[in-house]
Amino acid sequence: MPQTPSLLDFYPLEDEKSTRISKFFDNVRQGHFTTTRCTKDQSVHWPPRVVCPQCHGEALEWIELPKKGRLFAFSALLLGLPMGMEGEAGAVVGMVELDGWPIKIFSRIANAKYEDCHIGDAVEWDPYTLADGRVFFRFRKPAAPPPA
Amino acid sequence: MRKVAVVAGGVSTWGVRSATWGELVQEAGNALFSSARSLGAKDVDSLFVGAAQPERFAFQSHVAPMTAELLGLHPWKVLRRNELACASGQAAIQDAYAAIASGLSDVAVVLGVEKMNIPSMAEATTSMANVLDRAWDGVQGGTAPPFFAMAAQRHMHEYGTTAEQMALVSVKNHKFANTNPKSQFYSKTFTKEKILSSPMVSPPLRLGDCSSMTDGSGAVLLVSEEKARTYTDTPVWISATAQYTDFHNLANMPSLSSWTGLKKAASELYQKGGIDPTDIDFAEVHDCFTISEIIEYEELGFCKKGQGGKFIQEGQSDLGGKVTVNPRGGLLGCGHPLGATGIGQAVEVLEQFQSKVPAARHVKDAEVALTHNLSGSANVHTLTLYRREN
Ligand SMILES: [Zn+2]
Repeated sequence: MPQTPSLLDFYPLEDEKSTRISKFFDNVRQGHFTTTRCTKDQSVHWPPRVVCPQCHGEALEWIELPKKGRLFAFSALLLGLPMGMEGEAGAVVGMVELDGWPIKIFSRIANAKYEDCHIGDAVEWDPYTLADGRVFFRFRKPAAPPPA
Repeated sequence: MRKVAVVAGGVSTWGVRSATWGELVQEAGNALFSSARSLGAKDVDSLFVGAAQPERFAFQSHVAPMTAELLGLHPWKVLRRNELACASGQAAIQDAYAAIASGLSDVAVVLGVEKMNIPSMAEATTSMANVLDRAWDGVQGGTAPPFFAMAAQRHMHEYGTTAEQMALVSVKNHKFANTNPKSQFYSKTFTKEKILSSPMVSPPLRLGDCSSMTDGSGAVLLVSEEKARTYTDTPVWISATAQYTDFHNLANMPSLSSWTGLKKAASELYQKGGIDPTDIDFAEVHDCFTISEIIEYEELGFCKKGQGGKFIQEGQSDLGGKVTVNPRGGLLGCGHPLGATGIGQAVEVLEQFQSKVPAARHVKDAEVALTHNLSGSANVHTLTLYRREN
């Protein structure tokens, strides 16, 4: 269970008792980046939903999202970081344009320095596990290729 | 629809205040009651309170009756608290307008307040992060500065806007705030050089590009046409209102650099008011960050898309330019106590039309003005059009 009081905890409660999209988090655990798509009008949702906001239908399916994308925009958190993130000054965040999908997702960009980032840089999906056992995801700059 | 007038208003001193949430409420009430001719507590049939996050910043909910008690009011027609993040104050004004226009209320106090400076700045920032979609965007580090920083980055990338042009917005608004003793940065000088060398908050945005965490309050009195002359000889009239929202989670945002929702809301406002953007004499807009004001020039139709940087550089938004923008000092100069900001803007409109502001920021012979607040990640835009003559 989470250790932070829930009104100061950014991470969603992800178990079946707390949410109807616990499958998203189960999928993260198994290395899959997924979201919901409406079987009636084919609209792809972000974040995952239980009702399609377009047609209000409830027949949704889980689909895989690309794990690769590019930086459409980015910045860094230098001052005024929230509780739980105070130690992360310098962290890069950005809008990630998923390869081949009309979706841009806001994400932490791990393994990156602001000065080294450019619009269009490649990034990859990066799931992680919290100390309390919950899982979440961010994106990261790919590790540099080994010297030739 | 009945006509609705703004007849009185005032604000507390804004800044880092040695005062509680409730004490700020009382200061706004006194500012209002001392500005209206013959206003008694028994006249007030309705109370609207704009307050974004009293639950988080002051650990207090059910704030409408608390505000009524602090002001000695016993509203018997409408009692409401309005939350719309940074637009809570203006949204409360629009609710009061609707209540009076429909005949539900005749005399309404609209009070906006926020107490943002609490012992832990990190706790306050945490509360600001829940304005975005907390579980998906906030969790990633999404707060206002990085969001508006990305808007600035894309605007610079797509249109060639510069850090210097952004700094000029801050210079102008701080200059106006120096004429406003109630503002957070009254008596503080901000040169372009000082802004461009201030610490980076979220690049490319520096501290001088950002509005502040502010404690403050304000209140205005809205009344029906038949009551207007009871409280002043120079009422100001609400001509039209408009709002638009097009997303909440950042993934569903149409564009970082074009605020399509504002363009739609402005179009609705101008059509309802029977005007076009060239009719606006001055505008109180939401300069939460310098880039915001630049994008707002464009979406409000004061200049062409992409020309916002040039607009400030040419002095077109300064006193004497095409349209004076933020003569009060804006959020950059006055501070941004969320629920109170829209009220402060309305008080400025009232005092401009009543020629009660210092000459250094007075837009002479102004007839038409608008107020604008965005909220959250510029995903909601709230606009009100005011006229000096009925
Ligand atoms: Zn659907």
